[in-house]
Amino acid sequence: MSLEDYRRDIEGCSRCSSCKWVPYNQIKSWRFSKNCPSIYRHNFHTYSGSGRMVIGLSLMEGRAELDETVAEMIFRCQLCGACDSACKTYRDDIDISEVLLELRSYCVESGELLVEHMAVIDSLKREGNSLGELKTARGDWARGLDVKDVNSETCDVLFHAGCRYSYDPDARETVRGDIQLLRSAGLDIGVAGVEEACCGGRAYELGYRGEASNYADDVLNRVKSSGAGTLVTACSDCYSHFQYIYPKIGKELPVEVLHVSQVMDRLIDNGRLDFKHELPLSVTYHDPCHLGRKGEPFTGVWTGDKLDRPMSLKRSGRKGIYDAPRNLLYAMPGVELVEMERIREYAWCCGAGGGVLEAFPDFSASTTVERIEEALATGAEALVTACPWCLRVFKDAVDQTSADLEVYDLADLALISAGVAQPASV
Amino acid sequence: MISDEAYKELEEAVGVDNVSRHPAVLDSYAFQPFENHESMPWCPRPVAVALPSTTQEVSEVIKACNRHNLKHKAFSTGWGLWCGPTTDDVVQIDLRRMNRIVEIDEKNMFAVIEPYVCGAQLQAEAMKVGLNTHIIGAGPNCSPLASATSMHGVGHDSIYMSYSARNVLGLEWVMPTGEVTRLGAPGSGKGWFCGDGPGPSLRGTMRGYTGALGGMGVFTRVALKLYNWPGPPEIESTGTVVDVMSEVPDCLRIFGCFFPDKDRLADAYYDIGEAEIGYNCLKVATPAFMMILAPHLFKKLKGTENLRRLLGGTLGQMFLIILAGISREDLDHQVDVLKAIVDEHLGFVLDAKNIPTLGSNLAMNFIRATMPALVFRIGGSFSTALGRNDSLDTQLAWGEAIAEIKRGYAKKEMIIDDMGDNPYFVPYENNTWAHCEVVYPYDHRSEKHLAGSSAINMDFIINAIESCMEPMFGVVPSARKVLSPLTSNFNRWQRKLSEALDPDQTSDKGFYTDEAEFDFTNVPPERVERLQKLVEDLTWTELGPPE
Amino acid sequence: MQTKSTDPKVFRRAVGPENVSTEESELEHFRTAGLSSRGEPAAVVRPQGTAQLREVILLARETATNLVFTSSAPPRFRGDTVPAGEGIIVDLSGMDRILRIDRRNKVAYIEPGVTFNNLIERADEAGLKVLMPLLPRKSKSVLACFLEREPIIIPKYHWDMTDPLLCTEMVFGSGDLFRTGTAGSPGGIDRQLKAGLAHKNPLGPGATDFLRIVQGSQGTLAGVTWATIKLEAKPTVHKIYFACDDRLERLVAFTYRALRPRLGDEWLILGARSLATIIAESPGSIDELARRQAPWTLVYGVSGYRYYPEERLAVQENELARIAQAVGVRPVPEVPSCPAKKMEEILAGPSPYPYYKTVPRGAFADVAFLTTLDKAGAMVEVMSTACDAHGYPPSELGIYIQPIQQGRTAHVEFTVYYDPADEADRARACELVEAASWELDEAGAFFSRPYGSLSRIAFRNCPDSVEALRKVKQVMDPDNVLNRGKLCFGEEVV
Repeated sequence: MSLEDYRRDIEGCSRCSSCKWVPYNQIKSWRFSKNCPSIYRHNFHTYSGSGRMVIGLSLMEGRAELDETVAEMIFRCQLCGACDSACKTYRDDIDISEVLLELRSYCVESGELLVEHMAVIDSLKREGNSLGELKTARGDWARGLDVKDVNSETCDVLFHAGCRYSYDPDARETVRGDIQLLRSAGLDIGVAGVEEACCGGRAYELGYRGEASNYADDVLNRVKSSGAGTLVTACSDCYSHFQYIYPKIGKELPVEVLHVSQVMDRLIDNGRLDFKHELPLSVTYHDPCHLGRKGEPFTGVWTGDKLDRPMSLKRSGRKGIYDAPRNLLYAMPGVELVEMERIREYAWCCGAGGGVLEAFPDFSASTTVERIEEALATGAEALVTACPWCLRVFKDAVDQTSADLEVYDLADLALISAGVAQPASV
Repeated sequence: MISDEAYKELEEAVGVDNVSRHPAVLDSYAFQPFENHESMPWCPRPVAVALPSTTQEVSEVIKACNRHNLKHKAFSTGWGLWCGPTTDDVVQIDLRRMNRIVEIDEKNMFAVIEPYVCGAQLQAEAMKVGLNTHIIGAGPNCSPLASATSMHGVGHDSIYMSYSARNVLGLEWVMPTGEVTRLGAPGSGKGWFCGDGPGPSLRGTMRGYTGALGGMGVFTRVALKLYNWPGPPEIESTGTVVDVMSEVPDCLRIFGCFFPDKDRLADAYYDIGEAEIGYNCLKVATPAFMMILAPHLFKKLKGTENLRRLLGGTLGQMFLIILAGISREDLDHQVDVLKAIVDEHLGFVLDAKNIPTLGSNLAMNFIRATMPALVFRIGGSFSTALGRNDSLDTQLAWGEAIAEIKRGYAKKEMIIDDMGDNPYFVPYENNTWAHCEVVYPYDHRSEKHLAGSSAINMDFIINAIESCMEPMFGVVPSARKVLSPLTSNFNRWQRKLSEALDPDQTSDKGFYTDEAEFDFTNVPPERVERLQKLVEDLTWTELGPPE
Repeated sequence: MQTKSTDPKVFRRAVGPENVSTEESELEHFRTAGLSSRGEPAAVVRPQGTAQLREVILLARETATNLVFTSSAPPRFRGDTVPAGEGIIVDLSGMDRILRIDRRNKVAYIEPGVTFNNLIERADEAGLKVLMPLLPRKSKSVLACFLEREPIIIPKYHWDMTDPLLCTEMVFGSGDLFRTGTAGSPGGIDRQLKAGLAHKNPLGPGATDFLRIVQGSQGTLAGVTWATIKLEAKPTVHKIYFACDDRLERLVAFTYRALRPRLGDEWLILGARSLATIIAESPGSIDELARRQAPWTLVYGVSGYRYYPEERLAVQENELARIAQAVGVRPVPEVPSCPAKKMEEILAGPSPYPYYKTVPRGAFADVAFLTTLDKAGAMVEVMSTACDAHGYPPSELGIYIQPIQQGRTAHVEFTVYYDPADEADRARACELVEAASWELDEAGAFFSRPYGSLSRIAFRNCPDSVEALRKVKQVMDPDNVLNRGKLCFGEEVV
């Protein structure tokens, strides 16, 4: 697909600005009614979903030229998908998110690259991760765990940790706990350890499609060779890429793909997991974009007029993973869930996605602070999320702003409530 | 092009981060497809875009424009062709950063707001103190300030909450000269409780039936009437639009009222008005509901003649009404009255209470006016035949006449067949007057539809003149040129006022006083002749219109 | 343009000699009114229709003559019909036809000379009700009354400041004819009526609202030759209640809570003196009656309409009783010497001749302004202090508080009664009104329709508006022939 393939989507925009707002029926206050971090920060219409689509049209028609400034406009966006989801509340024939991805690819193919993104891609190429860490340390997180190595054994469930969980010292314990919990529930689990590499999704989002494809091949091969019937990941980013980008680029994984929260939810349902430890805590839950609206599976390609596209092929963001994480919180004794105003497919982004954290840290941070403020407005003691990227930026923002708010990975609370981990950290 | 010097002054006015002349940014403002019947969705590209955050900054932007012989054009939420420049020397003022609800005066029932507050935001905040705001039919994404000062202003709450133009209680206005003035009581420093006086009301220069659409300076604050809301501080709901499910507040009852024919429906409207009941009321053809809620199903079914007869005919004469009571006794009384009226006029009521999912869906969608945006679903765009608000009878007749015109175009597939007249008919102020516009969906990406839309618009204008109506789409320069001589020469006077208050004509006047020739390319010759004959017959002399 | 003496005979060309009068007995009515300064009317000219009015204005432009419109018969009190210096009175009271009553759309088509009594009678025959101000004088032009934004006593029907005025035909000071609202739509009125228009939309045409501009202009911008006005359905059942209190705040609290959901019909608050003046059978009984009333009386009506009228009445009564109890107010069916029925009759019509406000002392002066209800009490304090300072007993002050715009705004009207034959009494009233007006202005009173010298106070607060209004005046009345020197169009203001 190319930008030109989305011309009709772009020309279909009426400029109603719905891409800038929480779906109107869900606006509950003046304060938390906006949905797009990019235009919230930069204000020009250009920085909205609609505005970026117009950039595409302008470029296609030769009215504007792609230059460094335009590229920056395109990349100052977390690709959080809120614009797409909001637009699709009312429209069936416009895929803003696809246009945003095409714009990035257009930039990369045209040589308009961001230095910070090139560093990410270099890291991917050299070390197989997006964080600039050493490949040799990739499997350190699983050291000492009693878990299968899929490089030499087969298993039922392949656990993919992802870059952030593999390397971030604040997150490693979480995936270790995940393994313990899933194993204690009787699952036959394997990990790739040092051989695990980035899923490649980040490369796709930055516009580097060749790299993305290579990493998809890598994962696909590993899944096949592992003999697993299920791929479980703790990372929301990876989850989204497995569910959406892989099939979109023809690399669909031949297994069931689950986020760890879905697995735990199922285990509770069938009685193999029990949350018995009291956690007296009021929490609010942040829907990670990649688990929520961007976690909606690929629905297929429709080449006809999108006005006639079957609803089953319209990817609206509403079929993302919203209930499983909440079910876990509901199941934890003592935990009280207080919702923020912007939730589910109209949740506000954490600020980390789309290469923004790497290229525009100030913009990323301001987006994060906005979410922290929303969480604080609920009166909850803790902000819980299910994505290591969200977790990282939330923790950093709370540290920097001294906000009176704890930040937890959902899995950590699950581990404590299930008795797998000690409650000392809560 | 804008000179470096002028651009620098804009930067000084609003800060370097809040002004741009990059072609890509400018194009995102030149993109105005809605109600743009040209083959491409562009309007003239502004020479720069400025984003002021205060009234003072607006003033400084305008003064800078004036110093450099540039025009200015402001918008609030910016939806529609009229928001963009109409000439090549315009600085676009995007008021997005002026987004504050300055005050909600609960006791005296008004809010003071800035341009980029949208209807949904204001409603959400007003409801917290037991008040509600008029939301226009275009939807809760629109700016109540822009609607009240600069545009039209009809909504399906108009039965209880009037018309935007009549809801103004005070105004802050940066004149085209850059000077800041306030109208009414706030202009005298007395508070935001009255927009008229002392003496003659300058509100009359702010707008009339329509607004100046950015052609007369910039409105930076407005006090708007709020209305009683007997419901909870928030309507609990899940879902977004089509699937929204709300906790219907106990104080509300929702009814569909169906009548055997238009006359009985009209009689019922009049009686409901005199009974002074109703909080939200909208006549919508039943096919329109199906079209926006299930467009694919609609497409499959619309060839079915029996269904067409059922929806467009048997069930076509209906309105939806929400009753709101301040107590159970009050609500019960209103229900009694409604049922008696409908019964008397041989109609029947569909009580949403008996179809809980329907009621649950409609409550939020109607109170927040969220559904009209779904009209895009069928064809990607729509346009509308806007009549001139007056008596209920006139508006119902307008609806019928336009439906007839539409049928011809739909048959030729020059617009999308929506299987019904699809009026947006709402009564104002206890049904003492009304509004009717007839929506027609089309795909603006289709050349055939574009040709259809320009031809059908000519038929609407001709019909409006024949029906003695100044159509609301008279804001288009070509329509204005034809209509003004038949309509009190209003544009002559508008222009005089414009020249008096904007001596250098620095606001973009395209949608305010400019006139242009019609493009008759797609209009059949006999229609052109008909228009010319009407103009000949009805042009005002110095003694008024030919009687 | 400077005022100059004009031979009134010139206007015979426009209206015929029989419609130009220089009789002193007629002119004297326009030399002074209330506390206004003295004018010099040279003639009374009576156009018989729009075309003649237009001719009169064009002649005035040719001869630089000052024209002052009047539509009501005497007595007059405010001074807006007294020329500032010389002027010709353009008397439209002879244009007094009720052109049409449309029952279905509840609208009346009236000429300027139509008075309330005439209209009430015709409306009543059609089952309709005229939206009344409080006791307009019998000779008052309905059209003039609403052109001056006189408040109506049923706030729920006062949606906007133009109400109940709808569409108009007017002749600008330039001599140009204009029609506002839907009357300005294509086609003449007959054609429009055939097309089904009922002239209910007061806005426009186009993007300017000349009705709103002309309203409140005291004849300085245009003359209005006919208008449509909004009527309402007559209730099937109707009752009046009173709520009496020694504290205004309680009645204000009651009012806020009642008007928010639009309960009640008539709704007004009267001070004891005003109430007594309204209900007194004879001048001599006013003092006694005033003493017997509570300091403050809220008068309100409740109605039932065609469907389930008693049920509606009961709902309204119950809701209001509940609110009353909550705020500590007790609704009663009568006040001393005035049962509900009597008040109902009083409110339904114009004042007995000549005018109820002249009854106590022979003359009066009003200080009327807009504010919000919650500030009305403070305004009363300011006025009472001013009364004390000028030796005028506050207990003799007339006070009338009228919620308008459905309760969002309050029209407050203080009435100072005086004996016109007693120069000292007149002077005291004059000084009190002047001083109090300044003090009320300081306290936040908005003089939205300033008459006479009050213009100085009102317009000094809004120099920007004055500048804009003068530009508007230049457009509509380029030779300044209409009611020269009034409002902010005189040299003394600003």
